[in-house]
Amino acid sequence: MSKSTNHPFEELLAAYSAGSLPLSQALCVSAHLEHCESCGQKLARLNRVGSELMQQLKPARASDELKNRMLDSLDSLTVDDIPPQHSVSANPSVPRCLNQFIDRGYDDLPWKRVSADIQSVELCRDSNGAKVELLKIKPGGSATTHTHLGDEYTVILEGSFSDEAGVYREGDFMVRGTGDQHTPVATQDRECICLAVTEGPVQFTGLFSRMLNPLIRRNYV
Amino acid sequence: MSSMTKRATPGDKLVALSACLARVANDRDKSAFAELFDHYAPQIRAYSLAREPGSDLVADDLVQEVMTRVWLKAASYNPGLANLNTWIFTLARNCRIDYLRRNSRYATEIDPTDMFNEMEDEGPDPFQLAQQSRVEESIREGLKQLPREQSEILTKVYLEGKSHQQASDELKLPLGTVKSRVRLALKKLEVLVVR
Repeated sequence: MSKSTNHPFEELLAAYSAGSLPLSQALCVSAHLEHCESCGQKLARLNRVGSELMQQLKPARASDELKNRMLDSLDSLTVDDIPPQHSVSANPSVPRCLNQFIDRGYDDLPWKRVSADIQSVELCRDSNGAKVELLKIKPGGSATTHTHLGDEYTVILEGSFSDEAGVYREGDFMVRGTGDQHTPVATQDRECICLAVTEGPVQFTGLFSRMLNPLIRRNYV
Repeated sequence: MSSMTKRATPGDKLVALSACLARVANDRDKSAFAELFDHYAPQIRAYSLAREPGSDLVADDLVQEVMTRVWLKAASYNPGLANLNTWIFTLARNCRIDYLRRNSRYATEIDPTDMFNEMEDEGPDPFQLAQQSRVEESIREGLKQLPREQSEILTKVYLEGKSHQQASDELKLPLGTVKSRVRLALKKLEVLVVR
């Protein structure tokens, strides 16, 4: 395990442990956890908090019917009754949580050109509309300065990059909020591959607040 | 002499239940499984009802999903990674995530199966068992002493499955306050100290 220096905030890790984090963000936390022993230890304790809270609930009696049905079914249960785990990718730098999208490694993905320095491939969308993608920055390449409409979650899977705030290495996790401006530059020695989750721009649907939408698109709110 | 009988502590109960799980793993012992069911099914139902009050069918489904995994995965469960209570919590959480994903109004292709560790052998480095039970005790005691507003927020996030934003809407508190209450609670519980 490499030693990452940028970690998810504590409350984000707690939401992951509670299972209340959107799955797209949970993917990023999960990818980070494969690199980070200290967050793994924190998570084990956060799970313990969940377990204690669950035990403090007033038990809700289960019917005899349910129990008998369960006991009668035991002999016929097979591994097909629970979701299968995905096979391991050929590339060890692909985190386990991404095996569902990446069969053979990064090279075989349908990369699309974003700029001279950057390629991207969309992996999926979350139910909240967030986009989950991989970004590949060529050695020494730069992502043009950009701001965000929603939060952007990034985990470095391979290589490293730096921006105004510092240097980020394999396993590092970062969140850039609305309006944060940054210019990531990949290091010279190799290309950098990141997992990036971007939340869609917020759209208000209320009668009054709909008038805010043009402002949001221009980044005023 | 019943007043002289020592009351079983949560620790004693856990030892007995862990022995049941070992019998399920090694001997496919159905009566041991029934004991596990008697203890955990009401907890799992309560956990489900905390999120969806009144939905008894959903609660029964969750019991079936979790207990099916207990039967099938008993042999791969690694007690060095989490005690039995915590394993059951993570299974219930994972099954609930999967249920919500399958029944969500907005579909997503993200499959949570490989995202949440189920405390099986291939997991991260185990920690010391001795230290585990001490941490357990301190978390249990700490939860009793949390100010109400902090335990309320943990209940929302962990049991009712609310996002920080949803908790902020329901409690009519700024998002930042919700996050800082979670952080304060975790600090009091000493969850985040890595030794």
